[in-house]
Amino acid sequence: MNIAICIKHVPVSNDVSVDPVTHALIRENTEGMVNPADLNSIEQGVCLKDRHGADVVVFTMGPPDAEKSLRTALSMGCDDAVLVSDRCFAGADTVATAKVLAAALRHRGDFDLILTGAQTADGATGQVGPMVAALLGIPHISDARSLDCGNYAEGRIEASKQFGGNTIRLAVACPVLVSMSFGCNKPRFPTLRSKLTANKKELTVYTNDDLDLPRSEVGLDGSPTVVIDSFAPERNSKAEYISGSAKEIARRILDLVNGEEANS
Amino acid sequence: MRCGVCIYAECHGKLPEPMTAELVTAARLIKRTTGEAIQALVIAENCVEALGYLERLGVDEIYAVDTKQSCLFKDDLLGFVIRDALERIKPSAVLIPAGITARSVFSRAAALMGAGLTADCTELIVVKNEAREGYYLKQNKPSFGDNVMVSIITKERHYPQMMTIRQGVYPACPENGRGVAKVFLLDDIEIPESKIEILETTLCERVGDDISAARILCVAGRGSLGGEKLALLREFAAKIGGVVAGTRPLADEGIIAFENQIGQTGKTVRPKICISFGVSGAIQHTEGIKDAKLFIAVNNDENAAIFNVADYGVTADMEDILRAVLSML
Repeated sequence: MNIAICIKHVPVSNDVSVDPVTHALIRENTEGMVNPADLNSIEQGVCLKDRHGADVVVFTMGPPDAEKSLRTALSMGCDDAVLVSDRCFAGADTVATAKVLAAALRHRGDFDLILTGAQTADGATGQVGPMVAALLGIPHISDARSLDCGNYAEGRIEASKQFGGNTIRLAVACPVLVSMSFGCNKPRFPTLRSKLTANKKELTVYTNDDLDLPRSEVGLDGSPTVVIDSFAPERNSKAEYISGSAKEIARRILDLVNGEEANS
Repeated sequence: MRCGVCIYAECHGKLPEPMTAELVTAARLIKRTTGEAIQALVIAENCVEALGYLERLGVDEIYAVDTKQSCLFKDDLLGFVIRDALERIKPSAVLIPAGITARSVFSRAAALMGAGLTADCTELIVVKNEAREGYYLKQNKPSFGDNVMVSIITKERHYPQMMTIRQGVYPACPENGRGVAKVFLLDDIEIPESKIEILETTLCERVGDDISAARILCVAGRGSLGGEKLALLREFAAKIGGVVAGTRPLADEGIIAFENQIGQTGKTVRPKICISFGVSGAIQHTEGIKDAKLFIAVNNDENAAIFNVADYGVTADMEDILRAVLSML
């Protein structure tokens, strides 16, 4: 079984402010890490490898320092890592990102299963996974809670997701892309030994020389949408403040809770 | 030429989802300036009841695709159908509910069309196009948690302008239309076969500490680390029948289960009552948290952003408040 995992290198913190004059983003901390939900997809991929045997390749599109996140994925048990990086990919929106990732996946070869996290911590659109699947012409299941590849030999896998208070079990034909829900499993911790091995591993780098996409299809130019401005959100406190002694406040809280409970 | 503001009337059963009425309000605000028709796209197993509902909402045109089968979870099929429908309708803008399902199927449609898709808009501004006749939409949305707002526009060669709108931004439009919508049945659209099959649907097990099913959610933030604060919070939650969720610092410390982490998008909760302790930041990103009927925030920093979303704010030491509450229970 050939598994690809697409991850994103995201800022460690969302503590970003906006310069009131230039409207430029001011970052307190520029450090990056693996997007939290992607840790769940890595765990899922490595679990499948442990259970059924699989070749697991992790991909990320990003600047050169995204290598750090690929190393994390390798240390968790991925076999190979591909950094998809080129200046002309910069400034991409979700569609232009999906085009590059789809091309990179095609360039590498055929995959039976492509895993992503359901959403990123920074952009949080949840769009890139389904877009990659559409561009590759394969089905996808979004926000899956678990995967079962026991019937993989018959060319299909099973996934379950939650919707409207129900758990839904779905069967889908391979190849397929599945986005894993944040928190659906407990990502393993790398060991010292696995970290050392991961750090020694050679990364594959794809630039646009490898993918050969038209410039008009990638990066800022290839993006259907463009960010024209950023600004600080209005901070209007809408809360009604409860004041008084701790006892008075406590009474009010309980009254509010009991009042709401009585309403239902 | 593209014309019309098309709303997606997401339909899982006989009637479109309630969010449809909010999208109609958004479309009306655009129409007030541009004069464009309000169009509704409905894709359902049987559209009859949906048509009546959309007419009562007062849309101008209804485009219906009768799929003759349930399309729930068949996102591959829906992606193609939406693309084909929008090619026929040719709207200038498409307004989509920012829920898990619509987000997924419209991502596919956008990729197939080479169109853009702006996520989670909280404000749409109609701007006159200075270069030529007509208008475009400035799509404002929060980014990086709630720390930054960004304005996004769609390049003209990638029209229609497609965007998902967060629930609760626009008030629902009342159902008092007189039913004069033009109805177009798009029965020439081929319904392709889906590669996805539903095997089984079962009710979720209601485990005691499942935060997605909790009616009362007690959220612990960074400020609840240290001392006996968390123990008091747990005791309080147990007494009022609530479930404890926590923000990322608590999950990182292993104090609460990864499953019960809140504050990241992607987790849906449906609490009726939400009480937060020592949470400063933007937990309202968690889907459903803003729909809580009652939201009380306790934080010792009076400038905490949480007070922008809470109904009631308490600026005090959480330990004092929790001890006082527990003495009354």
